[in-house]
Amino acid sequence: MKKWWSATGLVAASAMMLAGCSGTDGGNGSSGDGEGGKTTLTAWAWNVNVGALNDAMEMYQEENPDVEIQVEDLGRLDVYDKLSTGLAAGGVGLPDIVLVEDDRIGGYATAFPDGFVNLSDMGFDDNADLFPSFKQELAQVDGSYYAMPFDAGPGGMFYRRGLFEQAGVNADEIETWDDFLEAGKKIKEETGAFAMPLDKFKDDPTFRMMLNQLGTYYFDENGNIDLTSDEAVMAMEKLIEFEEAELIKEVDGWNGVVSATVDNSVAAIPFGAWYYGTIIDQAADSSGDWGVFLLPAFEEGGNRASNLGGSSWMIPAGGENEEAAYEFLEYFSTTPEVQLVAMQDYGLFPSLNSTYEEELFTSEDEFFGGQKIWELFANQMADVETPYYTEDYAIGLDEAIKAQADAFNGMDPAEALKAAAERLAERTDREINN
Amino acid sequence: MKTQNKIKKVSLLVVLIIGALVSLFPFYWAAIGATNTSGSMFSKPPTLIPGSMLMENIRNLDESIGISRVMFNSLFIATTYTILALFICTMAAYAFAKFQFPGRNVIFTIFLLSMMVPYHATIIPLFKMMAALNWLNTYQAVILPNLAYPFAIFLMRQNLLAFPTSLIEAARIDGAGEWKIFFRIVLPSMKPALAATAIFLFLYQWNSFLWPLIALSTTDMYTFPVALSTLFGLSRIDYGQVMAGVTIATIPIIIFFLLLQRQFISGMLGSAVK
Repeated sequence: MKKWWSATGLVAASAMMLAGCSGTDGGNGSSGDGEGGKTTLTAWAWNVNVGALNDAMEMYQEENPDVEIQVEDLGRLDVYDKLSTGLAAGGVGLPDIVLVEDDRIGGYATAFPDGFVNLSDMGFDDNADLFPSFKQELAQVDGSYYAMPFDAGPGGMFYRRGLFEQAGVNADEIETWDDFLEAGKKIKEETGAFAMPLDKFKDDPTFRMMLNQLGTYYFDENGNIDLTSDEAVMAMEKLIEFEEAELIKEVDGWNGVVSATVDNSVAAIPFGAWYYGTIIDQAADSSGDWGVFLLPAFEEGGNRASNLGGSSWMIPAGGENEEAAYEFLEYFSTTPEVQLVAMQDYGLFPSLNSTYEEELFTSEDEFFGGQKIWELFANQMADVETPYYTEDYAIGLDEAIKAQADAFNGMDPAEALKAAAERLAERTDREINN
Repeated sequence: MKTQNKIKKVSLLVVLIIGALVSLFPFYWAAIGATNTSGSMFSKPPTLIPGSMLMENIRNLDESIGISRVMFNSLFIATTYTILALFICTMAAYAFAKFQFPGRNVIFTIFLLSMMVPYHATIIPLFKMMAALNWLNTYQAVILPNLAYPFAIFLMRQNLLAFPTSLIEAARIDGAGEWKIFFRIVLPSMKPALAATAIFLFLYQWNSFLWPLIALSTTDMYTFPVALSTLFGLSRIDYGQVMAGVTIATIPIIIFFLLLQRQFISGMLGSAVK
């Protein structure tokens, strides 16, 4: 017994010492000048964006050999946990560069007005025209740029060629949601497959894409609640029409959507261009069976452009390398070659307009049956309406999902949306549009 | 009478076997996932037999997160934490259980009440403190803040209450010092309780996610759960890698449990017999 405890004591003591020592090699996350006058930028990003950032730095170094980058690979939501903590603690331990999704930019810039570098002050406005108008608007707060536009998620219906053919449906002839409803019925009858998947009670991506397509969102450009608009009601009613025709497959969360995608139980999945990567990764053995068409319009000749998702770069204020970070990010965001690498190697759909002139965007994709899908996605970018997320986006999302759940549970869509708008008004102190 | 007993026994066994299968299935599913391609997680009917992708998944995972480094970080943090916390919590529990001092119950109650403070509420003050100490991204930032863990103190105190005070008094009369009494007389009889608390502390630190995520900021300092979390992109997730990672992450816990199992189970039986 005696031995056991003295051994424990020894280990404890040495552990203490080790713990004390490790502080020196850890660094503290903030950046500084490395040896030899080199500037090391630090960045937080998730998943494939890390590779894109590193590759871009390699290209950047050809002209700027004295800059380096250290990118920390974090989970997407983990970036926000760390960013919020650091900002709330008064700007400690933050990187020089951070990737933020477009629907969060407004929230961060409003909650922490001094937390991020005002890019307009550094001259970013001159570059604004290089991007589609909705990306420009999403990167601004009160008329100043706080983010540099990066990737986007132009919308599309990813569909199974096999199921469509089996039912004798031609995807090119689907122009309106009503056309798709009819096609869906035919496909269900012939093949048993549902028209689309949806997590009816937990997420509303299809509703959001429809809203975006109709030029509205949870909020309008003045920040008023727009859930009771005719467009919003029309979108929700359309979803319910699909539900009543038993064309929506109920799935559980993201994994459920992927599962339905892989097992051939849905004929189409409405999502952003980034879903391409998921399909080729998870359904690798279904090459050639896929195609894309634009989101159907609500009326013949109506708008079919939409967007779901996308992210931008922000620079936390107070770092030593603000200037260097800005210069690198400007290079990253406005250089077509960089965006092309991000697209080709990492599947990140660019929002820099000039990239669309590259050959890739007119090439055929084998996995998608030789269709020119990138051209299809790129061509709608200029027409995408701005979704007004505001800093209350998370609350808006929460209430919209509740409205969707109510509607799928049998409540009248207009009433469900009205109730949601009222709850939203209560929670955010915003006006409801009539 | 005898057959009735037998039926009882058999039906109990059946229920237990079903229970065991249900609890083991997720582990089996994860292990199977680790040996197959990412997409096969979603195939119908589900893939239930091992595939041939294990080595490739592990290789990819190693490329993504650097298995040995994060495994070392996690093991070092969890082991150091368990040893230190066990030591501190046991001493605190001994004081609460066997010493008379003014305010003893008040202090103990405050300790218990502190369990009701949501952990998230402490994150930002703790982060500021670590930043002021210049300890961000160090091992001690993860190890030190939760050393005095109220539940572990509570657990040890309850066990120590059962220790006969007369034995302590007898030792005092025989001239043993307080340290000697603690180490030579009290602790040896507490091995089952110590083992249970150690397992509890180790599990707590091994699974801990939010604070290590916030406190550690470079990839080479990440713990296993934080590193695993980086595998989840917006739309691209390699489930083969994820499942390989999850499977690997459970191995140390199983080993640790097996090491202490004998102590642990004899402790449970002991209290049952008493």
